[in-house]
Amino acid sequence: MVKFLAQRLLLVIPTLLGVAVIVFVIIRLIPGDPIASLVGPNSTAEARDELRERLGLNESIPVQFGIWLWNLVQGDAGNSIARQEPAFDLVLRAFSQTAVLSGAAAIIALVGGLALASMRVLSNNVFLQRASSFVSTFAMSAPQYSVALIFIVLFSVGLGWFPSGGTGSAMGGGFGTTLYYLVLPATAAALVPLGIIARMASSALRDVVTAGWVEQLHARGIPNWKVRLHILHNTVPSVLAISGLQVGYLLGGVVFIEIIFSWPGLGQAVYQAITQRDLPVIQAGILVAALAFVLVNLVVDVLQGLVDPRLRRA
Amino acid sequence: MTIKESAMTAPPLIAPRLSSKKFTGRRRRLSTSAKVAGGFLLLMVLVALIAPVLSPYDPIVGDATQRLLPLLSDGHVLGTDGQGRDVLSRLIWGARPSLLAGIIPVIIGGGVGTVLGLVAGLGSARVNSVVMRILDVFYAFPAVMLAIAISAALGPGISNAILALSLVNIPPVARVAETEVLRIKDAAFMETARLSGASWFSIAFRQALPAAGPGILVFCTGLIGLSIVYAAGLGFLGLGLTPPTAEWGLMVNELRQYTFSAPIVALVPAVLILIVSIACNALGDGLRDRMDVRMEARA
Amino acid sequence: MTRTALSVKNLRVAFGKRKTQIVRGVSFDIAAGTTMVLLGESGSGKSVTAKAIMRLHDSTTSVSGDIHLGDLDLLAQKSGELGKIRGSKLAMIPQDPAASLDPLSRIGSQLAETIRRHGLAKKRADVTAISVAQLEAVGITDPTRVLRAFPHQLSGGMQQRILIALAVMSKPGLLIADEPTTALDVTVQAQVLALFKELVSTLDAGLLLVTHDVGVAREIADTVGVMYAGRMVEYGPADEVLNNPSHPYTKALLNSLPEVGMPRGSLVPIAGQPPAATSIPSGCAFAPRCAFATEVCTTDVPPTVTVGPGHTSACVLALETIEVAA
Repeated sequence: MVKFLAQRLLLVIPTLLGVAVIVFVIIRLIPGDPIASLVGPNSTAEARDELRERLGLNESIPVQFGIWLWNLVQGDAGNSIARQEPAFDLVLRAFSQTAVLSGAAAIIALVGGLALASMRVLSNNVFLQRASSFVSTFAMSAPQYSVALIFIVLFSVGLGWFPSGGTGSAMGGGFGTTLYYLVLPATAAALVPLGIIARMASSALRDVVTAGWVEQLHARGIPNWKVRLHILHNTVPSVLAISGLQVGYLLGGVVFIEIIFSWPGLGQAVYQAITQRDLPVIQAGILVAALAFVLVNLVVDVLQGLVDPRLRRA
Repeated sequence: MTIKESAMTAPPLIAPRLSSKKFTGRRRRLSTSAKVAGGFLLLMVLVALIAPVLSPYDPIVGDATQRLLPLLSDGHVLGTDGQGRDVLSRLIWGARPSLLAGIIPVIIGGGVGTVLGLVAGLGSARVNSVVMRILDVFYAFPAVMLAIAISAALGPGISNAILALSLVNIPPVARVAETEVLRIKDAAFMETARLSGASWFSIAFRQALPAAGPGILVFCTGLIGLSIVYAAGLGFLGLGLTPPTAEWGLMVNELRQYTFSAPIVALVPAVLILIVSIACNALGDGLRDRMDVRMEARA
Repeated sequence: MTRTALSVKNLRVAFGKRKTQIVRGVSFDIAAGTTMVLLGESGSGKSVTAKAIMRLHDSTTSVSGDIHLGDLDLLAQKSGELGKIRGSKLAMIPQDPAASLDPLSRIGSQLAETIRRHGLAKKRADVTAISVAQLEAVGITDPTRVLRAFPHQLSGGMQQRILIALAVMSKPGLLIADEPTTALDVTVQAQVLALFKELVSTLDAGLLLVTHDVGVAREIADTVGVMYAGRMVEYGPADEVLNNPSHPYTKALLNSLPEVGMPRGSLVPIAGQPPAATSIPSGCAFAPRCAFATEVCTTDVPPTVTVGPGHTSACVLALETIEVAA
């Protein structure tokens, strides 16, 4: 088991390295003088020269990469041009907001998706089965921006039930207020993952329910409720895998929700940085998003190994 | 092992080809919802093709005296936007870039991804390992963010957006292609091809590809809907076409500011994209169901 | 007089809304301490018969007729009582051992579950002791290691032995085995069959073994029933049915399947296919493929004729051979 863990951890490192390379390449692709992008248009010539030296821009590309990477690992991604604060600080603050939104969305997606999957596979009612199938197709097709706008028009403008934006911190923050402000954005963000989880969980559930060993349990006289526990246990690995992927997607992909609902999260921060050509924030933002995704996948991998012994074979 | 048993467990002797007969001999039909979806999408494509003829108004020049007219106004079925331009006309014209930006990246990304999958699937363990690990790195980025980052790096414009989306499509297709190729790699017909001394290209494109093809194709059709949504998303963020061009995503963003003053009109492009996305998925499902039956029958 | 482990009369099984008949009136008896082999091709209804006896079907399947396990009327039992009977008085050994054990539970815990279910023990120490004993009884030499293992870590033969152990631990009066050797290697097949023979005699139980493999029938059967298109076309002592077949289908079947010691080039496949359950021809279901078919065969359902002591055949020609012999 320890061996499995160590192995998984080791595999993560090359991936992270690769991520760093790609971000480096993308940054370098952005047209314009990198120095100007890093210190802004209002800098002095001396400041620019000094930065050029520090970042080794007069050296070869691999050296540049090395220096850049070394700085990153120490937590230095430069200072945000727009806000004059360390890029990582800004990004991590934004990320915590995204984590709240994504967390809520993930819970909604998991609960909803599993409910739909159970309806589809376990109920004997044909109508429920068709309905759940339809709902899951609808949900997974729903583009974030469309859903967000429809929700706002329906529930905010139309019915006035929920606020149309913000985190509620202006109202004094607090758990209850945040929750209230979370309802629309989190549900809008949850739809696509919900649909995907519903669909995959249905197929996993169906595979388990029709497995030979389930019939064998009945053949040995094991009571129904116990058989159901076995079935549940066997669906966990697949559900875990899918949910993990969706959480990862949520952490990096809710930018439209954040923009439309004015939720100060990571996606919105990166997008603003792009419009303001704020390079340090762009690179810090993408790195954090990728890092979070990789870590989430790692956790899911390990959890899966815990639940399903067949996966522990290296 | 009796002869019967060995016949039951042997892998297919010839490369499975597309056929539409279920093993009872009856053709499986596409479900009604899939047909409706397909029809709708065909309509969209048609609209895009004949846009200049179909569109009642000029999509770019607007009449400021007629701004923000509601739905079902006289002469403007879907209302007008903030600059007095007819929404319906803009949607019609917008179909071209929006659909193209959805389909082309899937073709390009699908093509490159399939080749990568073939290389990884048919290659040695080492080759496979290297290719898949590199793909894993791209997988570490949430697709949306990757598309945005690449698009931002390359600059505005629709061709850059298409390039960014193509790149984002490559890893998923490559992964599916690799899985499909691995599945048929040890089949008897592959063995025969290898033993006959065929070149890698011949094995890859004349044996492996037709066998793995259906699965990959089905996956790619599923990607089209997603691509259209992402493309419009890039437009929404201003990373694709620039105003005053008509593009669905761009329209969603432009009309966003009128959510409170003209809510229904503001929703129109968003709802259209939603419907197109649902239609793509419904069609993809229908095709997949039909395909799965053929695959099962052969098992 | 040996007791009857299982008595089946006129069993009919139909699937779905359209009530497609899969098993169309099958009758046989199994005496305690004997083995009956149900022989037939895929689609003959033999597996469905076996499952119907265990009552392992869903609500869309209708089962009628008479099934008695000793004195117990199986068709009259409600699901609660069935739960107690299954696994204790009546047990099943499935076809694909790899797919028949919960992949996420250790063997020990799966054994313990069944032991506790049928009240064979309660305390942990007793449960383990019984588990070990049962595994040893089916020929597993290192039971403690196996108990801690997961199914995928064991070979097919090992898995099948565990399934057998699970089936016999409550000393059932009837064992049902559905193609238990089909998924196994030939050498392992022989071991498993030997195990079956030993168990049948030790437990004085009846064994109903479903298979398409004539070799298995020769090895282990005391009685043989040959099924075709949902009917029992021939039934009798193994020696008689396999060496002196009466029904044309049995004869054709025996000539078409390879066996050790057969002369080269003597395999004669049966032309055509068995009919689908939805389109069974009137009269004798085998008539379209039968070399001896007559007019009557296509119009009238053949009667079940006794051709020897305890040996029946459902064929009009059987009548004639008796007349000729008489």
